[in-house]
Amino acid sequence: MDSAASGIQEPFDLIRLSLSERVFVKLRGDRELTGVLHAYDGHMNLILSDVEETIMIVDQVEGSANGQNTVNIAKRKIDMLFVRGDGVILVSPPLRT
Amino acid sequence: MLIFSVFKTLTDQQVTVELKNDLSITGVLKSVDQFLNIRLDSIKVLDEARHPHMMAVKNCFIRGSVVRYVQLPAEHVDTQLLEDATRRGRCTAKTMTVTKTTIALTVLSDLWRDAQSCIPTLYSTIQVFH
Amino acid sequence: MDDSTPPPPAPPADSLPPPPPPPTMTGSPTDFLKGVVGKRVVVRLTSGVDYRGLLSCLDGYMNIALEQTEEHVNGLVTNRYGDAFIRGNNVLYISAAEPL
Repeated sequence: MDSAASGIQEPFDLIRLSLSERVFVKLRGDRELTGVLHAYDGHMNLILSDVEETIMIVDQVEGSANGQNTVNIAKRKIDMLFVRGDGVILVSPPLRT
Repeated sequence: MLIFSVFKTLTDQQVTVELKNDLSITGVLKSVDQFLNIRLDSIKVLDEARHPHMMAVKNCFIRGSVVRYVQLPAEHVDTQLLEDATRRGRCTAKTMTVTKTTIALTVLSDLWRDAQSCIPTLYSTIQVFH
Repeated sequence: MDDSTPPPPAPPADSLPPPPPPPTMTGSPTDFLKGVVGKRVVVRLTSGVDYRGLLSCLDGYMNIALEQTEEHVNGLVTNRYGDAFIRGNNVLYISAAEPL
């Protein structure tokens, strides 16, 4: 099995392997981050550096079904960021080769 | 516990706390506890025009659970130390103390604060709910 | 499930095996989770987003590590991840996407 070969026994191992790597983080509230992971804990509190945050703001177009929404994207950069774990949905390490 | 230690090393530094209700408060980190509740001094709200009720507030206590982000001063964060401590798994305040002399002062000031807390002090407290 | 009730007339051959094979209803939820490790799964989050991928492992909080993950939002693939860690509190269910 792949997971046995790569030495992953519990989900947190996946994140440990991503320390000092750039990771993608999906957060509640239609927010996404990419940044270099420096620390995490069991709550999934994170400390990231060189962070780019993307906020997706969906404007519902009046009287239309889905598909007619316009999505506004706001981006900003932060040097060093603590992210509270309760907002985290997903963490994905970079693609390993 | 690791993150708690990190915040302790950052006491008396300027940080920006972004709350889940989109309020951003910049101030000097005065203290933090195990729940990551935060006390800030000399605070300034990012968009003051939108939050006029905050103008008179000079310091605040922020419940940890309403925090979304804290922007940290990068120059005061030892990323190598963080990664090592995270890999090691459990990190106590002690493991970080030995590597940073500044922490000895933090510990002293902790003791001093504990002693002070016997004296009733008035703090303006903001309660922000998600 | 109950053998004492008269069986319904056997439907003709057109409804042979339903797409996800009839789950064997023996075993505890824990047995199910042990069984799906290493298998292809669908993880649905409370937000309605689906993640399809190979379940590498999970823990007691239902934190999940997936490989070869596709993110599906109302039927469309919106993202792909080589590995993905999902924080357990967001999980609504885990469904096997291949026979156990």
